[in-house]
Amino acid sequence: MNVTVRMFAALREAAGADRLEVELAQGATFAHLLERLAEQYPRLAPWKPHVRIAANCEYVGLDAPVRPGDEIALIPPVSGG
Amino acid sequence: MGAESRGVVRIVQEKIDAGAVLKSVEDPSAGGIALFVGATRNQSHGRSVVALEYEAYEPMAVAVLRSIVDEARRRFGIVHMSIVHRTGRVAIGEASVVIAASAAHRNEAFGACRFAIDTLKTSAPIWKKEFFADGSAWVDPGAGGSAA
Repeated sequence: MNVTVRMFAALREAAGADRLEVELAQGATFAHLLERLAEQYPRLAPWKPHVRIAANCEYVGLDAPVRPGDEIALIPPVSGG
Repeated sequence: MGAESRGVVRIVQEKIDAGAVLKSVEDPSAGGIALFVGATRNQSHGRSVVALEYEAYEPMAVAVLRSIVDEARRRFGIVHMSIVHRTGRVAIGEASVVIAASAAHRNEAFGACRFAIDTLKTSAPIWKKEFFADGSAWVDPGAGGSAA
């Protein structure tokens, strides 16, 4: 399945885009998604340990399965307030 | 049981009217109202800051802020809570976030307000970029952290 991942803040600047496309196997987890992103976009690799993932506006665990149509976002360390 | 919850949760792109946020949580059943204003400072890790910019993943930020209000209600029994966060360029000394909480008594109002800002700072998908005279950088809360 083809998934779009939204990028924000420093991660968006590192990626050079506010969204990236990744091809994933059915049944892939968000851990697989991160792996794929880091392979396909090596500039993102250093961020891997520091990002959280949100699907449909909720934080998700890396073991959760990616579903087609999920709105996915990579959340770098937050600094609001 | 109590007043219908009337607080506002908003992400805005212009100056926050703290007085309006305060008014939004007033209630005849509330004997205490706590107001927190997060304002932009002119110093960061020894460097002079000339401006700040905030970015938010808006739909999720609103969802997270709403869940903070719900949790504050569960933990502190507040009457109303409002949270307004600003995005875009914020001049030094202006409010980036305003939180107001009303409760029957002051302990709960203070507690809820503190809980809300502390939780927002670690979980809301909002990011701050600092502009110095000679460059800019996204704040990295892991590197040196920020004082409470």
